[in-house]
Formats: sequence, C-alpha cells, structure tokens
Amino acid sequence: MSATPETDAAPGAEILFLAEGELAGLVADLATAAVEVVGPAATEPASPAAAAADVLHGRPELEYRTLAPGVAPLLAPGMPRLSLKGFFLPQTEALFAWRQHGTEIEIERGEASARRRVALGVKPCDAAALEIVDHVMNWDFADQPWNERRVATTVFTLACPVEDGSCFCTAVGLAPDGTRGADGLFTPVEGGWLVEPSTEKGAAFVAEHAARFATASAALVDEGAEARRAANERVAGHLEIDAESVREWIAGHFDDPLLAGLGVRCHGCGTCASVCPTCHCFDIVDETDGVGKGTRRRSWDTCQTGKFTLHASGHNPRNDQNARFRQRLNHKFSIYPLRFGEVLCTGCGRCSRECHAGQDLVEMLAAIDVAARRPAAVGAETESGGPA
Amino acid sequence: MTEPQDVTTEAQDTAAEAAPTAAEAPAAPTAAEAQAAATAAEAPTTDDASPARADAHDYPETGAHDEPGDLQGVARQLLAEAKVDVVIGWEDGRRGARPVFITEADDADRLIFDTRCVHDLVSYLNPRRTQVAALGRVAVVVKGCDAKAVAGLLREGQVKRDEVVLIGVRCGGVLEVADLPEAVALTADNVSPRCFRCDNREPSLVDYLVGDPQDEPPRPPATVDERVAALDALPVEERWEFWAEQFSSCVRCYACRQVCPLCVCERCVADKSVPQWIETASHPRGNLSWNLTRALHLAGRCVECGECERVCPAGLPLTLLNRKLAQVLRERFAYVATDDPEVPAPVGDYRLDDAEEFIR
Repeated sequence: MSATPETDAAPGAEILFLAEGELAGLVADLATAAVEVVGPAATEPASPAAAAADVLHGRPELEYRTLAPGVAPLLAPGMPRLSLKGFFLPQTEALFAWRQHGTEIEIERGEASARRRVALGVKPCDAAALEIVDHVMNWDFADQPWNERRVATTVFTLACPVEDGSCFCTAVGLAPDGTRGADGLFTPVEGGWLVEPSTEKGAAFVAEHAARFATASAALVDEGAEARRAANERVAGHLEIDAESVREWIAGHFDDPLLAGLGVRCHGCGTCASVCPTCHCFDIVDETDGVGKGTRRRSWDTCQTGKFTLHASGHNPRNDQNARFRQRLNHKFSIYPLRFGEVLCTGCGRCSRECHAGQDLVEMLAAIDVAARRPAAVGAETESGGPA
Repeated sequence: MTEPQDVTTEAQDTAAEAAPTAAEAPAAPTAAEAQAAATAAEAPTTDDASPARADAHDYPETGAHDEPGDLQGVARQLLAEAKVDVVIGWEDGRRGARPVFITEADDADRLIFDTRCVHDLVSYLNPRRTQVAALGRVAVVVKGCDAKAVAGLLREGQVKRDEVVLIGVRCGGVLEVADLPEAVALTADNVSPRCFRCDNREPSLVDYLVGDPQDEPPRPPATVDERVAALDALPVEERWEFWAEQFSSCVRCYACRQVCPLCVCERCVADKSVPQWIETASHPRGNLSWNLTRALHLAGRCVECGECERVCPAGLPLTLLNRKLAQVLRERFAYVATDDPEVPAPVGDYRLDDAEEFIR
C-alpha cells in the first residue's frame, strides 16, 4: 500500500547505537510527545485478586502491550503468545453505531484509531505479516481502520535469536533480522542495540530523537552482524521448502490423502488462527441495543470452526475437520500466493507451538515439500498409510 | 454399567493369557453405593475429601501389565485381530507428546504413556467428530479423568459402550504441559494442580488396564481448592471484579468448548444467531455470557480433566470455575464425578418420584 513505503530502500546507511541507559529516556521523550509505545512486556497478574488466585501459577509470559507512558518495552528474547496483529485488527472492534429517528438513520463511526504509535521490539515475523496482510486489506476494498493504524504506527523489529525448533521464517523467504513491514531494526549488542532505520518513516523517527542515538562503533557493528548471521544459519536448518512447488502441489492435489487427512487430531478450536500473525478473517455482527439503535462490530473468525462455512440451509461444504484443516493450508500456501504472489505465513511457528493437539505445520510442510519435489508419476498414488 | 461384560469378554478374548473376566470379578459398586459413599464424605472441599468410591479398586482388571497387557501389546493385538480399526493414544511428536491415531498393528510401537500425556482423548469420541468416526471402530486410551468423561458420554447417550474399546492407563498425575522432549518426574512445581487428590488413578470403566500402580500426585504449592477458597474469601464485589477482569481477556475462540469431551451439542448456543443468544464480540457482556454459559452447562457434567484451561490462549483460570461448580455439586447433590456411568448426574437425570413438583 502506498502509505507504507517499501522497506528495501534504506535511506541512510549509517548504523546507530542506542545505549541501554538511553531506552528509558527515549520512552520518556515519546511519552512527552504523546506517542503511544507498544512493545513486549512480561505478563503479570492483573490485580491482587488475580495474584491471590495464582492465575499465572508462576509462569511469566511475554505479551505485546500498549505500555503506560514512560514504561520501556522488554527488549529480550521470547515470543509473545499472540502476534502483533491485534494492534491493527483488534479481536473485536466497533465499525459504527446507528440510531434510527423515524425514517432517518444516524450513523456514528467507530472508535478513532489513528493515534500516533511506535512499536518497539517487534518480532520480524510479526512485522512482515503486516505487509503481507496489506494485500488483502487493500484488494477489493480498502480497509480503513487497518490502513489508518498502519499509517499511524512506526514499527521497529528486534533481531531475533531464533526462539525454538518451530521457527521457520527463512523457509518462507523472511529472516530473523528482517525489516519487512517495519521501519527499522534493533539488533542487541553489548550495552545496547544497533539501530538501523529502513524506511523514511523510520529515519524520521530516529532523526526526531537524534539526541538518544550515537554512531555505532565498528566493533559493535561486527558483533551485531555476526549474531544476525548465526541466527539466520540456525533457523535455516529447521525447514527448507520450495514455496512455488508447494503451491503447485497443493493446488493439484485437493483429494490427496496427504492433504485430505491432516485434520484428524485437530479439535477445530482455532487457536492456530488466533495466534497467527497473518490470519485475518473476521465476522461482522449487528448488535442491537434496544429498539432502533445498535452497533456493528467485527470480531476475529477462523476457518477452523464448522460455523465458518455453515450455510443457512444447514449444508456445510467443509463438513469435517479434515476439510477445514486442508483449507487452512490451501489458503496460506496456494490460494493467497496465487492471488497476491506470496504465502500467507511468516514462519513464526506459533500454530505448532500453541496447538494443544500437536498439529505441526513444520512437519506438514516438510512432507508436502517432499511430495512436491517427487516425480509427478508417483504423486497422489502413493500408499496413504495412517491418517496421522 | 451398560453391558460391560460383553465388551470385556469380547475384548478379553483377544488377549492370549486372559486375566479374570468381568463375570468373575467382583461386582462394580452400584449407583446407590457410590452415592452413599459420596454423601458420606463430609469434608467441605474436594481436596480433603475421600474418594467417592472407597472400593474403587474392585473392578475387573483385564489386561494387567504383563504381556500382552501392555499398552503397545494391547493396541497391536486389537488392530491385528481387526477388533478395532484405530487406536487413539499418545505418541512422541516433534514438540513432545501428542494424540495419535494408530491404524496399523505395526505402528502400535509408537504409543506412549507418560507424564506428558495430558490430553483427554475422549474428545475424539464426540459423535460430531465425523473425521474420527470415519476411521471406523475405535479403541481409546484413557486416564482416570478421561474415563469419567466416557461415563458422561454414556449417561448422555452419545456413545454406546459396546462400540468403543477402552484401554485404561494407571496414572499418577500429569504435567501442566505436553510439549517437552521427554517425560519428567512430577514435582510440586510442574504437576497439573488439578491432579492433586485424584480419586481415580486406576480407571474402572475399561476393557484393559495397563501400567504399574502409581503414587499419589504431588501437592502443588497452591492447590485448586486453596485458590478457590482465596476467591471465596473476597467480598462479592471483588470477586465480581476478578472474574470480569479475567473474562475481559477472553478472545472468544471457543477452544475451551472444542476440546471439552462433554461439549457435544449438535449446535452450541454460542453459534446460534437467530436470535443471537450470546453476542459474538469479545466485549465484557459477550464474554460474560459465554463464560458463564459454558461453566453452567457443564455443572454436573464436567470431569475436571483440565483441558479447557490448558488450551485457553488467553490463560483464563477455568479450573477455578470448574472446581467451584464441583464443590457446589458435592454440597448440594452429594455428587462427585465418577467413571461409573450408572451413577446418575444431578443435571440430566430425573425420577418419577422427584420431590419437586415442577419436574414431574
């Protein structure tokens, strides 16, 4: 989309350094300028009652949060359970409210959303998802709330050390130190972070807060480069697929046992879609509030539930979990690339990590990739084996 | 029990060296006995209560843990002799233990049971899981809590006892998470808190029982009952605030419903849109409607398998709600979840001589 400049063109080649001690100052500056800061924070019990009930039972987790003014994000390894997408496509939002006066209908637009924000410490896989989802949000209809939030938000990724064996960003053309969908990159080094803006928006942000940044020493630049190289090498070993072959194979093997039997253990809970940075489907419902007034809201939806495709007649074209799970893979790795030229997946691994039934996208993609690279004659006729 | 002997005997025939058959074994406790036992337990909380069935170990032990009564052996034989088409159990996946559907006898070696096997596989017996039903006749591996879920399905006519083979595993508690590369011993800090004072470490509602007798699960630093008591001690306004705050983070994915072995409605009230009984938006009103409806519809049906809390992406402490319901059920109806399907559940059972006018 035009409002989000291409990230490849880095305006300035100079690499900056933000000392650890300057992060608090930067955040304070942002608070003064009334710029919201979104970033990772440790999940905490929300109240004394929650603490008493031991809600977290000792398991601190990371989550993206709109931080209180002056609070610094936690720029450390760790994968927030939910991706950043909720800050652009909230789980539920009011699109508008209506009120009927006789034959007149008064429309009031939903919550104003274009507050200036900066997101710091974003996982590169989460930032890339924004740019990938931009395609569909500006395809047949320009999604105003999404676009306004995109324009209002400056995003800096934090170079990722690779979280675990479910990470596979390089397999889908991304990188653990990427800036797609972002305006610049932070790379952790001794005593602070290297900072490299990658868009004009990012450069403007850095210029606005120039007093907080120094020029990085050659030694620190080398240290950052080495860490980034090592992370790329590490994640590349987790999965390697040929996306184009995978797309073609999926498109041509709708009823192949490999593709049509993937949902046996799936409960259809849709957790994979909730945590996915690229799943963007939503449902729109008019909620009436008494007579003659109400609110139109949209909420996240997922193709993993039966209701998603249930017809008014009672017929359901995707009538079991095998069909629904196939749709998930089909949309991400065949339909979306066919329409928009790239897969609807950033390799964050959350769907595998969070699936409580053990559905494993890494394993599935590896199997499909093998099938796709096999000579065509073998293809669909290989023995089906067990369903799982 | 609903004609257990036929099944037991039939399944038994598949074992080369059969243990005593159901017919020879001591009779299972009657519904009345079990209820009496439940009533006799006077303790105010379930943590301190003795098991509902004091004689829980008097059941037909069919497979023991000797060859071929081990998990893999039982599964292999059931498949080899075509007694079942699929055995639903657990395997080692890339990210730890996970459900597996074994359809070939040669694959039975993939089956495992250890402290990571947290999943309640009874969810797969839901007749609405058509992709599972399509696999044919099913055997499923059950822990004690899972067997209680089977009893619930039997009570409600969702499955027929002679259409499923139950392989019981002796269980001394499970971890909170399944995604560990290998099993670890349970400690106070890693055990699933719901396992404390488990009253069904050896499921009775089984055709086979495998594994060694297990010790009691460790006591977690804060037991579920203690946490419920901490909430109960708060003024009602603060308790309300607590739950309102908790429900505010619900993302309305319905994972709790999908994974629940007893959530078997043909069409969930949350999915009905004419009228929209429960608002789909995750605002406080919609979230409250959903979470209270879910909890109350499971009163007297929930077996505290813990799956809803485990899978909740928002981390809602649903176990606290479930336990509170269980406490009320015990106090008001002398009912404790059991894997004896003959024990009627307080909600869903009726009698012609009921004392209440309205129900007759």
